[in-house]
Amino acid sequence: MNHLSEEQIVLHYYGDADGEDEVRLHLASCPECRGEFERVQGLLRNIGPIEVPEPPAVFEEKTWLNVRDRLPEKRRRWFAAPPKWALAGAMALLLVFAFIAGRYWPHHEDARKDLGNPQRVVLVAVGGHLERSQMLLVEIMNADDKAPLDLSTEQQQARDLLDDNHLYRLTAQRSGDPQIAHLLDDLGRVLAEIANSPSDLSPGDLEQIQHRIQSDNLLFKVRVVGSEVNSRVRRQDQNPPAGASQRL
Amino acid sequence: MEVTDAAIVAQVLAGDRDAFRVLVDRHSRNLYYVAYRMTGNEQDSEEIVQETFLRAYKALERFEMRANFGTWIYRIAVNRTLDFLSTKKTHMQKTYQITDEPDPEKNHEIQVETSQPGPDRMLLSAEMKAKMTQALGLLTAVERVAFTMRHMEGRSVEEISQTLKLKNSAAKNTIFRAVRKLRQQLEPFASVAR
Repeated sequence: MNHLSEEQIVLHYYGDADGEDEVRLHLASCPECRGEFERVQGLLRNIGPIEVPEPPAVFEEKTWLNVRDRLPEKRRRWFAAPPKWALAGAMALLLVFAFIAGRYWPHHEDARKDLGNPQRVVLVAVGGHLERSQMLLVEIMNADDKAPLDLSTEQQQARDLLDDNHLYRLTAQRSGDPQIAHLLDDLGRVLAEIANSPSDLSPGDLEQIQHRIQSDNLLFKVRVVGSEVNSRVRRQDQNPPAGASQRL
Repeated sequence: MEVTDAAIVAQVLAGDRDAFRVLVDRHSRNLYYVAYRMTGNEQDSEEIVQETFLRAYKALERFEMRANFGTWIYRIAVNRTLDFLSTKKTHMQKTYQITDEPDPEKNHEIQVETSQPGPDRMLLSAEMKAKMTQALGLLTAVERVAFTMRHMEGRSVEEISQTLKLKNSAAKNTIFRAVRKLRQQLEPFASVAR
């Protein structure tokens, strides 16, 4: 009778030997191989897990600080958010545009309001952005999840909205409006997920996105904040703020 | 509900570099454990974790959104560890003469408790742990990594082959070679204790 090879015996310990059943049968009938197996087993059973010293509580922070400065600049996708200097420039342009609009369109009621209150322009823009986002989310929520879908149009919309979203989120952060900034942060993640999903979305993928929208209560939050933004615009129209330190 | 890793990756790819921090927060500790089990050194493990995240960031475009980010970055960490151990081994081999055979002189220097000389007790002794560390140091980088994955982490042969880009048969043979070397190093002590 041929004995088992050392390799068969070692691998059998892990249940990885080729022909496990034959190995087991052989071990049952061959004291010599069984003795060898028991020696292997005795040794390996005593090689326990290596004790890993727990890294300090600040380990994650330390890792991030070491990694952060070494991260190379990523080549942004064409739909990705523009750099911060571009955002600042865009904001400045927006305000200049509002100013010029107010100056050259003096008979327009809204433009006169914007001339006195540049934040109103941004508020109106954020309101519009939330409205467009809401429409997209409603479309996604109502999409049929029973068959493969082509959501390429919605994905394109999501990419466009993602650009604006980034701009408005930074503006909200800078002007100290955490509620809007937080909402736009959540919205940005979902928009990114929609934008980066495969174009031939499977029912499972769609369901996952729908689940995310639902579990985050995102649609509800977008509606609430959107309506609040519109109320603020109306309030400002009635009582224009005196200073420029007004929040978004 | 917690934002998925895939959503964070999408955010990073959309230009939000700081979002990468969430992934560092979520996975760095586990990767540290993995690296430490294979290197046995705190500083080396910290360095490997950092290198792993840098490599992951650079390769983020290649991450399949449907895949599990934890598994993906684990594989990067294992391969970084493998590279690290290979480099270190080459360096050490230039400095020291390493033998695969146990040194019988040193064997008898090990203090074994004689009142309860069972092999279990002996294996758990501090001397044996030191010998174990030494024995692991004699494995090649790939043997050490494969053995750690199979024996310490309970990863399957398939996972090991995929991670190390080996055929199943090669992965099994690597594990076997590792165990054989450990037997050569450690079994003489067990017999001394009996």
